[in-house]
Parts: sequence; structure tokens; C-alpha cells
Amino acid sequence: MSGTELMNGGRGAAGARRRIRADLGLAAVLVVVLAAAALRPALEDLLDRPAVAHWATIFVSITIAAMPFLVLGVTISAAIAAFVPAGLLPRVLPDRPAAAVPVAAVAGAALPGCECGSVPIARRLISRGAPAAAALTFLLSAPAINPIVMVSTAVAFPDQPEVVAARFLASLLAAIAVGLVWARFGKEALLGRARRTHGDEGRPLSVLVSTAQHDLLHAGGFLVVGAATAATLQTVVPRSVLDTLSGSPALSVLALAGLAVLMAICSEADAFVAASMTQFSMTSRLAFMVVGPMVDVKLIALQAGTFGRRFAIRFAPLTFVAAVVSAALVGWVLL
Amino acid sequence: MTAAGGTISILVGAVLLRLTLTDTHLRYVRPELGPFLLVAGLAVVALGFATLVRALRETPTDVHGHGDLEHHHEHGIGVGWLLLAPIAALLLVAPPTLGAYGVGRTANIEIRAGHGVFKPLDPNAGPVSMTLLEYGQRSFERNGASFRGAPVELTGFVAEAEAGGFQLARYQIACCAADASPIVVKVVGTAGDRPVVDGWVRVTGNFRRPEGDVPRVSATSVAEIPAPRDPYE
Repeated sequence: MSGTELMNGGRGAAGARRRIRADLGLAAVLVVVLAAAALRPALEDLLDRPAVAHWATIFVSITIAAMPFLVLGVTISAAIAAFVPAGLLPRVLPDRPAAAVPVAAVAGAALPGCECGSVPIARRLISRGAPAAAALTFLLSAPAINPIVMVSTAVAFPDQPEVVAARFLASLLAAIAVGLVWARFGKEALLGRARRTHGDEGRPLSVLVSTAQHDLLHAGGFLVVGAATAATLQTVVPRSVLDTLSGSPALSVLALAGLAVLMAICSEADAFVAASMTQFSMTSRLAFMVVGPMVDVKLIALQAGTFGRRFAIRFAPLTFVAAVVSAALVGWVLL
Repeated sequence: MTAAGGTISILVGAVLLRLTLTDTHLRYVRPELGPFLLVAGLAVVALGFATLVRALRETPTDVHGHGDLEHHHEHGIGVGWLLLAPIAALLLVAPPTLGAYGVGRTANIEIRAGHGVFKPLDPNAGPVSMTLLEYGQRSFERNGASFRGAPVELTGFVAEAEAGGFQLARYQIACCAADASPIVVKVVGTAGDRPVVDGWVRVTGNFRRPEGDVPRVSATSVAEIPAPRDPYE
């Protein structure tokens, strides 16, 4: 190997430099693992404190529970990168956002996963040339209206089909509203990072592996940030604060919408939590279920990492407002 | 992508497999997620090995002029390093199941809601084992008429010890421990030492009228037990 490098002069030297960098990275992984092993007694002492143990359990739980869905999302995203020819999506999708956005919203029903998986998929759709408004609509609707979420909502609210219908309608409306607002006012520059098609060329299998690897580490890292944030909020903020807000109808909608952002529960489980919060009005619990899959601390971290911080600070508030308004309207009419 | 990235993936996958094969995952997620964790773990390990193999082979390929690999080096691992945090935590010290700390902090389940009419229990069949949720729901349904004096057996951990009794609790989880809500049953009529907070106990006893929102059980025996395989309901 070194002989070949020598013969190739400059290129070979660059290859060797990269090899050294790769080896440094590998050494760093080993150092982190060994350091953690050396600190084990200290970690055990920490976990003897109930608050730290509570935090650690929630942190690990969110990360673990999200993993299968993240792996599914990453796999689909990598398959799109490897097997969907560039230029296909812009050809098959309608040009006008007014047509593409509702199509994308309804298409979300076909992806059985929770919110963590849909972020890498939306990014891949954008880098493959899909209209941003349509990809973002899909990003919001897929975790909110897929069959698993609908079934778990029906199980959590037995004999109340109107809750399932309200959740479906309100989520669809919110996703479409955000998509249309983005189509009208969104700036392409905000998505610059997602448009880059870096590393999408080459043999399909090689693209599959490198894309999946990249997306997994990237999304996984931000998932860790989000899980740590949600665990901190759940450990620090006592729930009794919310109980004082449950009296006023308007405040309770905002309180549960805010709680959905802070708790970062998987969209397949939030219906059970909503069902248990009987001191709140039905409409505010609907807001909890509409906001949760679209905006929460873990998703904001993922989106900031995937599309950029400037994107996330505009997109998250827009989505939050759309979801709350849509839930309030649908709840007022249906519930 | 570097060898380090592949190694992190292998570690992530290995942790998922180890958690699931040792049943430790039951501390964090619903048992139904187990098979999905196994599949995800296998997939991630395979991905990590594929990356590692490519990383070790990369120099010769690069020399022969397949430029596409060069792009992948531009992606650092970046934020992916953070995945080592839960890995380190889980490989070395797996955090415990949720305990008494969270009982006062998370929303209690409103157990009055939910169930319809319960089938009456047989008073002569010996203690009936049931979840704390079912016990609470039976307590509020027709003022506990479905018990008909039958003894019950409840399993949970001690959330708070007080004079003459303690709070028995167990969490309901829908997906993972982040959505856990505790159910609390007040155990009255115990004699002897106060049980240890966060210790697991099996309480045999009889229905007692609830006190406000809290169901109560009048204990005939309290036995300390090891933590059950699945700590949640």
C-alpha cells in the first residue's frame, strides 16, 4: 500500500494524511470509552442521587425508544439517496405548491414511524430536488397521521372516534398550512445545507452505506441533545405548575401545547399521556397531540442540526402557531 | 466516513443488542419494542462494519481515482460524538428504573376515568392479583362493589412511608419511561417497620374506601420482593 502511495506522489501523501486523521478519530473513540470506564465508580455514586438517576433513566429511555424509528428513517433516507435517480422527484411532483403540499401531507400517512425518522427523510427529499414546501409538509404530517399513531389514539380514547378524527384533521390542516406559508414566504437560502448533494454520487451500495452512516451519526447526535433537554425539563419542572393552569380554557390549551414541546414524547405514545390528563379540556389535550409530533425540544435540535439553526428558529414557532390554531379550531367544531 | 464513525455505530448497535438480550431494555421501554430494538441493533452493527471495511480499504481505491470517496471525508463525525454519552452510560452503569423521585413530579393518572363495569370477583378463590390501575378503577367503580370482599394482591414499589402505612406505586408507560405516569395506592393498617422507599413489595389485603382521589387497601400482609422483570404496568 505504501508503495502505491509513493508512486502516486501528492495524492498518496494526501491519502496518508487522511489515514492518520481516521486513526486519530478511532483513538479518540477508544479514549472516551476507556475514560468512561475509569470514571465508573464516580458514575455509580452519581446515580445514587434520585434526581440524577431520574434524569439518566429518562435520557436513556428517549434515546433507546427512538432508535428503531431513527434506523427506519435513516434506511429510507439512504435508499432514496442510492436508488431514486436525481431529477425524478421534481418531474413527478406537481410544480405548484398549492397542489404539491396537500399531496405531500396525505402521503405522510404512508410512513409508519415517529418524528425522529422523518427528519432525515425530508432532508433527503429536498436534496433530491423535491419542492421544499412539500418536503416540509411531509416532515410534519408523517409522524402525526400515520396508521400507528391513529390506532394508538383510538386505543387511548376508546369509544371516542371523534378524537381520532379531530387529531387527523387538525394535524393535516396544520401541516398543509405550514407548507403553504413556506411556499409563499420561505427562503430557499435557509435550506442551503439540505440542498447540497454531497456524497450522493457513486455506486448505489456505496452511497447507501455512506449516507446511512452519515445520517445515523448526525441525527443520532442531535437526538442525544434533544433527549438530554427533555430529561432535564422533566426532572426540573414540577408538573404541579401545569395543574394551576388547567382552569382557564385558553391557558390550558397553551399549557398543554407547551408541555408537548417540553416533554418530547414519541408521537406513538402521546395519546396515552393525553388520555390520562383528564383535568384538562378535550381541546387542550387535542393541542397536546397535534403539537407534539410537529414541534418538541428533540425535534428542534434535530431540525437545527439537519437544516441549520436559522431555519429552525423560524420553522419551529411557525409550526407551533399553526398547530395550536388548527387544534383549537378543530376542537371547537368537533369536540 | 471515518473508521471512528464505523466504530461508534458498532458500539451503538452492540449496546442495543446487549440491552435487549439481557432484558435491561425493560427499564426504559415497553416490552413490545424489544424485537424492533434487536433488528435496529443488528442493522446498525452491520452498517458499522461496512463503514469500517470501506474506511480500511479507502486508500487504494482513492489512488485508483474513484474520487467519490473523497467527499465522504469532508463529513466529520461532528455531533455524532454525542452518541458515545448514552453508550458509556449504558455499557458501564445502566440507569435504574423510575422510582419514588418521580411520583410527586409527574402527572398522576386520573383513575376514575376509563373503565366500564367490572366483573365481580369471587370472594372464595384466594387473593386476586391485579395491576394498581385495575385496583384503582375497581375502587371507584360503583364504590368498589366488584370486590365483594375478595382479597387482592398488589405489586409495586414504596413511594413514601408514613405512620401506619405507606404509598404503593407503579408506573404506567405507553412507549418509554419518558411518558410514565405513576399510579399510587395507599396501604393502611401495616404494623412493624416502615418499608424502605423504592423497595419492591407485594401487598395482600382488602378493599378500603378511597380517601379523596387516592385508592386505599387495608393490608393483611406485606412481603418484600425483588424487582419484577418488567417494572412497569
